[in-house]
Amino acid sequence: MSSDPSTTLDRTGLSPPAFPKIRVRGLGKRFQVGKAWVEAIKAIDLDVQAGEFICIVGPSGCGKTTLLRILADLEAPTEGEATIEQSDPSNPLSSMIFQESSILPWMSIRRNVAYGLALRGVSEAEIDKSVDRFLALTGLDRFADAYPHQLSGGMKQRASVARAFANNPEILLMDEPFAALDEQNKALLQEELLRIWSETRKTVIFITHSIDEALVLGDRVIVMSRRPGRLKAEFKIDFPRPRRVYDLKANPEFGRIGREIWTLLREEVVGP
Amino acid sequence: MTVQARSLVRITAPRQTGPTLLDRMRRSSLLMAILAPLAILIVWEGLTRVGLLDQRFFPAPSSIIVSMFDLVESGRIFIDAAWTIGRMLVGFVLGAVPGIVFGILLGLSPTVRAFLQPVIAALYPVPKIALFPLIMMIFGIGEASKWAIVAIAVFFQVFYSTLAGVVNIDRIYLDVASNFKATRWQLCRTIAIPGALPFIFTGCQLGIGMALVIVVIAENFGTQVGLGYLIWQSWQVFEVRDMFVYLLMVSLLGYGSQMAILRLQRAVIPWKKDDAG
Repeated sequence: MSSDPSTTLDRTGLSPPAFPKIRVRGLGKRFQVGKAWVEAIKAIDLDVQAGEFICIVGPSGCGKTTLLRILADLEAPTEGEATIEQSDPSNPLSSMIFQESSILPWMSIRRNVAYGLALRGVSEAEIDKSVDRFLALTGLDRFADAYPHQLSGGMKQRASVARAFANNPEILLMDEPFAALDEQNKALLQEELLRIWSETRKTVIFITHSIDEALVLGDRVIVMSRRPGRLKAEFKIDFPRPRRVYDLKANPEFGRIGREIWTLLREEVVGP
Repeated sequence: MTVQARSLVRITAPRQTGPTLLDRMRRSSLLMAILAPLAILIVWEGLTRVGLLDQRFFPAPSSIIVSMFDLVESGRIFIDAAWTIGRMLVGFVLGAVPGIVFGILLGLSPTVRAFLQPVIAALYPVPKIALFPLIMMIFGIGEASKWAIVAIAVFFQVFYSTLAGVVNIDRIYLDVASNFKATRWQLCRTIAIPGALPFIFTGCQLGIGMALVIVVIAENFGTQVGLGYLIWQSWQVFEVRDMFVYLLMVSLLGYGSQMAILRLQRAVIPWKKDDAG
């Protein structure tokens, strides 16, 4: 019942200096639905540099999640390839933060955050060190021994963020992790995510349907077309860091780029 | 034409008064729980006293209590209860453990499921007690055949519940395990077993109930001890009052074993928000 995609991620490990952290070439994925074939994504080319924070926005059903799941090795592509540069062979390639609460209900928050490390057989001391660090960074230290049902949705997503970072992967993949949160928690978690990210400087691909969120978080915002999803446009976002959500929203430039992205996105949502 | 007068509807907090005796009685779940059985016993007693119930089949509860004291005094009833409990528990463990193992195996692997499920599904509808003669031919008429028949009955209950539990685990948790590169065994240990535990416990509850049913019937054969044996024996000698005492013991045993499983469940599943029952 678990999906068992054949690993098509290229793990050569060797990288010339200019090689990007993530390189995607001609990536496509078709699904069979009944007798018909549906193209989820098509001919995706993408380079992500090490330490870059990329946001991808697109209309719902455009295949954003499919792209992410392929990079997470949860699904296999039907065309093309994705290459992830592995800087340290002991690091896992990717950790994903899912949209819904994916925190395991039967483990305490501490054990949830330790999950990836424990599976890899990292030593207790090392696990504790890393888990304590990310529990503190996400403000969960007081709830370390609580079970998920005792926490709010925002707290659970914090635990999800802590779990992904604690796993110390080469790249982080985030699939609308804050979509289910209320506005206030969303703003708080966005700022916390930026703070943690600035400490670790991990390479992040963050998927969202919210233009504002993409502008607040990303170094680059990529707009996807409707299905079959292709990369339609790209915006470099130069707002200085550290960023604060509502300071940024007060910036006229924020509104201008936001409108430009919405104009593009609108065509995709409404259709021709 | 009439003009409707405007009226004001006032909503106020009800006057605070302390709970009356009646309120307190209503809130006491223990009191409410024993009220219905008590009422039945009183009606039963009354009906036998006036001769509306045949004393040969439904002796007055008061006379049953008298024989209960006699039986308890002799102490034998506890030895017999211990035998019945022992057979139940051995059979239960022998059935529940493979039930859980196969449930998880078939739940996690579509291949194993496709291979084994038809066989199990074909065996499931056979009334388990109908296998008892065959079981006695294989294992003899001693203890082993009783353990075996209980184990078979328990196996199916626990197996099907466990399978349902594993299959119903939210896909996202499997994705998490997969994303964190869990091995098969790690997937089993960290996702499948804990995820299916609530279902496994439901299966154990059904299973222990089934174990009692089977053991009481099986104790009719090849044994001189056990509550089931005593029930059959009191039937042969037409000792109806004793039979009711044994039936009460069986019922208490059933209730007690259910409670024990519930207790265990609460201890083992601390992450469940609300415990039913």
